Amino acid sequence: MTTASEVLSSIQSAFPGAVSDARVESDRRLWATIDSNKILDVCKHLTNKLNFDHYSGSAGIDWIARNEMEVVEIMASHGAHQVVAMLKVKTPRANPSVKSLTGLYWNASWYEREIWEMLGINFEGHPELYPLLLSDPLVGVWPWRKDFKGYPDYTTGERAVAIPTPDGYTEYSFPPTQAEIEAGTVPTERPKYPTFLERETREIKSDSEMIMHLGPQHAMVPGPFLLDVLVEGERVKKAFLDIGYIHKGIEKIMENRTWLQDIVYTDRMCYVASLSNNECYCGAVEKILGLEVPERAQYIRVILEELSRIQSHLIGTGEFLTLIAGVGFAPWQYMIMDRERIISLIESVTGARLTHTFVRFGGVRNDLPDGFAEQCKKDLPYMRSRIEEFIELFAQDPIYHARMENVGSISPETGKRMGCAGPVLRATGVAYDMRKEDPILVYPDLDFKVITGTRGDSADRIDVRMREILESIHIIEQCLDRIPSGPIKTEAKIPKKVPAGEAYYRVEDPRGEMGMYVISDGGDKPYRVKVRGPFYATFQTLTPLLEGTYIADAVAIAGSMDGCPSESDR
Amino acid sequence: MLKRKMIKNFTWPLKIATREIEVTRLYPEVMMELPAVERGIHELDATTCIGCGTCARVCPNSCIEMVNFKFGNPLKNKKMQFPQIDFGRCMFCGLCVDECPVECLKMGKKVIMAGWERKDIIKGPDFLATKRFSAKEVADLEAEAKRIAAEKAAAKKTAAKEGAAKEGAAKKPAKEGAAPAKKKANGAEAKPKEGGAA
Repeated sequence: MTTASEVLSSIQSAFPGAVSDARVESDRRLWATIDSNKILDVCKHLTNKLNFDHYSGSAGIDWIARNEMEVVEIMASHGAHQVVAMLKVKTPRANPSVKSLTGLYWNASWYEREIWEMLGINFEGHPELYPLLLSDPLVGVWPWRKDFKGYPDYTTGERAVAIPTPDGYTEYSFPPTQAEIEAGTVPTERPKYPTFLERETREIKSDSEMIMHLGPQHAMVPGPFLLDVLVEGERVKKAFLDIGYIHKGIEKIMENRTWLQDIVYTDRMCYVASLSNNECYCGAVEKILGLEVPERAQYIRVILEELSRIQSHLIGTGEFLTLIAGVGFAPWQYMIMDRERIISLIESVTGARLTHTFVRFGGVRNDLPDGFAEQCKKDLPYMRSRIEEFIELFAQDPIYHARMENVGSISPETGKRMGCAGPVLRATGVAYDMRKEDPILVYPDLDFKVITGTRGDSADRIDVRMREILESIHIIEQCLDRIPSGPIKTEAKIPKKVPAGEAYYRVEDPRGEMGMYVISDGGDKPYRVKVRGPFYATFQTLTPLLEGTYIADAVAIAGSMDGCPSESDR
Repeated sequence: MLKRKMIKNFTWPLKIATREIEVTRLYPEVMMELPAVERGIHELDATTCIGCGTCARVCPNSCIEMVNFKFGNPLKNKKMQFPQIDFGRCMFCGLCVDECPVECLKMGKKVIMAGWERKDIIKGPDFLATKRFSAKEVADLEAEAKRIAAEKAAAKKTAAKEGAAKEGAAKKPAKEGAAPAKKKANGAEAKPKEGGAA
């Protein structure tokens, strides 16, 4: 098995002088600063020689005190080894520019677009560098830079130009200053998101083609996003995805709240999976603090995260199946009824139904109540019998098969290359699960298997989720048998100010691999929190998947991904 | 059964028309049982709150404001400041409860807070306090607080005087005799000031 130090020595021997300031945190984490000219070669070397075939995302950081910017490329492997390489590329703050990795990794596109629009780091060689999340007036003010003054820019006064619209609203425009134009830091003509008319005139070539909107409000994914499909007859020729309708700027908000308060904001990224978001953030901070979590607290966290996974899969599947004829509306009602039992179990521990704010640094908020194990022993076998019933129900329904089977199929190679996450990737047959790959808490002690599918189509995705629920029930039952008594919070005093450091922590969200990259500069607030959401990765693969399919299948494909735009937009 | 329901349907509007009763009925008619750890509307124990303002500082939405309230414990909470919560902003995260040093803030099972106006959901300590002192108890406690303050001030003053006497015993011999008499006459109000100055 490859370890982080082996990876580092391999890079150092292949590219002498390219690596500076390297740090091997553990067998599974490598931090290295790479020369910006050699980053492409290093990435090629990692992919071809060392099985780093999973581009997990990238983060941009503005180091205003050091007068430089940093792009951190997060590289991992789909099961060949467990090393996560965090490769930092530095660039001067005056005219930030790094090389784009879109040529090597298809899924680097969105991550780089986001960094560009938020921080103003130019990516050389990126094919379509236009805004992803922000609205037009905010593009070019680089909101994630540390010297961003707010919107509109009242502190500098002359920068913001108020434009009254005919409807009676006020819009703000930010013309670049003369100094910025001379220095070339702000592009004088900022790329804007194409309007619908522009897209129509550019893309429609013949009379038989038209563009259809699916969204921003559409039932296939519970959240606003716009899917424009260019159709010719019934066939989808091309698809365009616009996200950012519920961009909340959570990463920026988290920089302005204390460490403890930030737990609350992780809940709001995806309310259906808020426990794993809590876990991801708290785990990263615990890593920086070097805190040990008591064993009982670890078991409580695992139990609740698995319960959370069950309820997330139930609502995701149920909601989606309302759109599919055949089994139709009935599973939705059954699943919501069953989910209510799971929600009540979670509520009896955390005190809240959806936004739990339950995990704390070095422990959990509450202990399990009296009678929790007994209630679980009543509810979980019932849930198991229900899930088996659902699987049987889906297997027998001919209409369900006709609509779901071989629709939106992804091959394992495509899934890996496009960077799908979670059940969508596992349905293709790739056994990639953070609980096995990057085990946290007490997961290494527990016995469970990673569920995989065979065809990678919509039906398989649902099937994988259903069978994952059975596996989660198995995990919870083991935990309830083994859970020791003891404290639920660490004895150590948790300081208000977290010592300077950085950590990358991954958990298995119900939707896949979720990572948080947390940087502390020794203050009472995080310096930077980068959220690598699972659905952000999966969402990106939607447009190529839709090309060539029928328009009626678009819903079956997008819905089966169990999306949450709230988490992908953050 | 059906008949009874039909009769109920007729009698209910009559009741509403004739008497002032709750118009909105709960559905389901019996509320579901909430767990013991439910994070509902806060409950304040005004008898133990020390008015430190930790809850207001830790609140991520800054929906807690410290306001004056009469029925607390003046011995512990000298400024008589208690939390007032804007439930329009509160997201029931429970951080205020976790951080409270004296555990006087709890979250209860009450969840209904509908009002007619926006300001109705800003709930002051009067609404939140489940435990409080009566006006008479507060008066007694205040008197005690004054007495303690007076004692402290007196002790400080004597200590300061002793110190002053040691430093410059010859400077002001005439005033020493007058000072205790002045203290008694002015009452409690003057004493904290003197104590503060000392």
